[in-house]
Amino acid sequence: MTAPDRHRAGAAIVLAGLPGMGPRRLAALLDAWGPIEALARVASGRIERLELSDGTPLLAEMPLDRGDTLRRAWADAASSADPVAAQASHVERGVAVVLHGDPGYPDALAHDIEPPAVLFALGSLEHLDGPRAAIVGTRRCTGAGAGLARELGRDLTAAGVALVSGLALGIDGAAHRGALDVVRGGPGRAAPVGVVGCGLDVVYPERHRDLWDAVAASGVLLSETPLGVRPAAWRFPARNRIIAALADVLVVVESHAVGGSLHTVTEAERRDVPVLAVPGSVRSPAAAGTNQLLAEGCHPARDAADVLVALGLTPAARRPRSDRRRAPDEAGAALLEAFAWEPATLEQLAVRTGASLGSLAVNLEALVAQGWVTVRGGWYERVAP
Amino acid sequence: MLGIVPSASLLGVDGHAVTVEVHITKGLPSFTVVGLPDTSCREARDRVRAALQSSGCQWPMQRVTVNLAPPTVRKVGSGLDLAIAVAMLVASGQVQQPQVGSRAFLGELGLDGTVRGVAGTICLIDATGDGPLVLSADGVDEARLVGTRVLHPVRALREVVACLRGEAPWPVPGPALDPPPPPGLPDLAEVRGQPVARFALEVAAAGGHHLLMFGPPGSGKTMLAARLPGLLPPLDDRQALETTRIHSAAGLTIPRGALVRHPPFRSPHHGASSVALVGGGTALMRPGEISAAANGVLFLDELAEFAPHVLDALRQPLEEGVVRVARAAATVAYPARFLLVGAMNPCPCGYGSQPGGCRCTDSARVRYQRRVSGPLLDRFDLRVEVGRPRVEDLLGHDRGESSAAVAARVIEARDLAVMRGVRTNAELPIDELDAVAPLAEDAASLLEGALRSGRLSARGLHRVRRVARTIADLQGAPHQLTSTHVALALGLRVDASAVISDPQALAG
Repeated sequence: MTAPDRHRAGAAIVLAGLPGMGPRRLAALLDAWGPIEALARVASGRIERLELSDGTPLLAEMPLDRGDTLRRAWADAASSADPVAAQASHVERGVAVVLHGDPGYPDALAHDIEPPAVLFALGSLEHLDGPRAAIVGTRRCTGAGAGLARELGRDLTAAGVALVSGLALGIDGAAHRGALDVVRGGPGRAAPVGVVGCGLDVVYPERHRDLWDAVAASGVLLSETPLGVRPAAWRFPARNRIIAALADVLVVVESHAVGGSLHTVTEAERRDVPVLAVPGSVRSPAAAGTNQLLAEGCHPARDAADVLVALGLTPAARRPRSDRRRAPDEAGAALLEAFAWEPATLEQLAVRTGASLGSLAVNLEALVAQGWVTVRGGWYERVAP
Repeated sequence: MLGIVPSASLLGVDGHAVTVEVHITKGLPSFTVVGLPDTSCREARDRVRAALQSSGCQWPMQRVTVNLAPPTVRKVGSGLDLAIAVAMLVASGQVQQPQVGSRAFLGELGLDGTVRGVAGTICLIDATGDGPLVLSADGVDEARLVGTRVLHPVRALREVVACLRGEAPWPVPGPALDPPPPPGLPDLAEVRGQPVARFALEVAAAGGHHLLMFGPPGSGKTMLAARLPGLLPPLDDRQALETTRIHSAAGLTIPRGALVRHPPFRSPHHGASSVALVGGGTALMRPGEISAAANGVLFLDELAEFAPHVLDALRQPLEEGVVRVARAAATVAYPARFLLVGAMNPCPCGYGSQPGGCRCTDSARVRYQRRVSGPLLDRFDLRVEVGRPRVEDLLGHDRGESSAAVAARVIEARDLAVMRGVRTNAELPIDELDAVAPLAEDAASLLEGALRSGRLSARGLHRVRRVARTIADLQGAPHQLTSTHVALALGLRVDASAVISDPQALAG
């Protein structure tokens, strides 16, 4: 990288890290002046006449003239920042910084309706070249939903489809775990792609640190914010638009009637990306959103084959998965039937089966030990192979 | 001139002997009370003056000093009124000291000379010495519950003066009242369905295990908890006396002419302060709700709505069975051995424990989970999910098992615990578990699996074994614990942190 390039990247990093700097403001600044002049103008406060892509003024969105406050905050932050040091720290951490329009900017995003003006990447951007499917869903999922997300992630990755997701708790994380289960399994496997809404060194949620590191190591992690930027609620919708933009097809595994995954669906529809939804029980609150999508005409995603067909690929003949769990005894098998693939409490199972609490508890513990059932809090759930 | 009359004053749940000395001398008319009186005690002046005047006695227009000995102990409340009035009569020469004799006096005075009962009478009796005790007719039933003192029930100061002057004989109490019929406790038969919650109540009653119920609004947690006292055995003499003393000191109504024989059920509102819960309010050092629940049930509905520091104040009494309250004036220990029953929603929306069921925001859940500390949740041996009862159960005619039938099993199980040298199985020492709760092979392997998978901690292991011991006792298996007992104990021990704190179900 030449010295002018480093300077450009450094200026872009500083601009992208300013407080309240969203994707549209950043794009407007960089499109108008390029990073170096934009930084100089921000530092001296000369950004009055700039407009966003839809014609609204850059800083006049807030009531009560927050624009002036923000301009001063930007000026203070920009004039005290050191672009060279910022660029050096990104190089040191192995984070690639790519500006929209530069060579090396991924094609997958370059022609999007709202491409990230600056892209930060940990891992190789080449992983974005093949077919990509995004799997999203609620953080408050059922065990069945998480199991299915994991299965989809596993099967799609094995079929050479790169899995795009947001590394959030629940469905997102489960899908990525599925991808990581098989990513090193042999030739033809695709690499996982994670898109996050904060700096690439700010692991969020903290519980997914292992997942975060594994995705960066075997695939690529993307963000449009520089290192050190904390997650904020308003950044997640922006993150969702990148997931939708990267997806050739979007699969929603579980979603409540209202939720972030439905925002990703809206972004996908703006981009004509096909959306598939996993059908769920009509009694499950976690499937209310997905069932609504199906009612509105989304295609159902029952397994990876449905997703592959939507991608225009030929699904391999489905092989029955080997189940290494010990077969349950007669009473255990009857109890599994009573679950009907929905979470249940001890009390519900007792009422459903009419069995005594004692024998029910013994049979449940045996099923838990054999891996047929999981228990969380007071709820038991049947587990797919 | 001097008048000396014995009486007693209450601190916590203990009575303290107080000698009332009144001295009258020449000087400007004044009235001073010395000897650490509190406000209600100092106000005795106005009540005593009015009562004396309405009873046809003279109020000396002289310098009056009232000393309440010993001067180091704080005197609280209005129970010394009668003694002060009598000492005034002696000091002013309206009655002679020998006429008082060894009699002690206890009672509050009304302005018209009425003698009223005093809170904590039962605690005060022994502190008033050995002589005859003159007290309000209201308090005589209570006083008769302890000891064989000579009691003189009086209704008005005028009556007392007449007796002192020898114009009338000292009254004697009427025949003792028959013990009141037992109060109608709510019956478990009224609970429809909900087999797990019913069973948890039975185990809690039999083993003295604290119980926490999770469930959405309207699942009947309060209704279930109110049925627990009916499952507990009646109090023995020692417990009955202890509970009656506490209730008397706390100013609660106690059955007329009888000790509190039924396990109390206290259900403080979640706005309660830590003083209200633990005790020590006002100079009286009144016992709190947890002492009022001693030998019975303390039910904390909406556990997470209690202030966190209030809940933390419960931890020490839960361990020791006694609560020690230290104030500037005094340090008092109250009995506080109770069965704790908590009820709470798993999260603000109430559906948080069901996988995929919660509708709360993350921040709302985090705020909620901070309200209940892990160490407190740990003290609940039994933690169950309570679901809404099914409509067919609610409308059906099948009545559940009655409280009486369950209580019979509970008494048998409790007898087994007593034979092991503890009051209840919840108190079994860890080093005796191997001897009194030996595990069958399948039970041991079940526990091993739960430990290895991280579902159970070392501390949890002991608690599960105690609960399994109680379950086995209830099911008539007094020796080895089988896998059924252990599996049930595990099933009645929901992982509280998974219910409350975790928005995520199973992320792969």
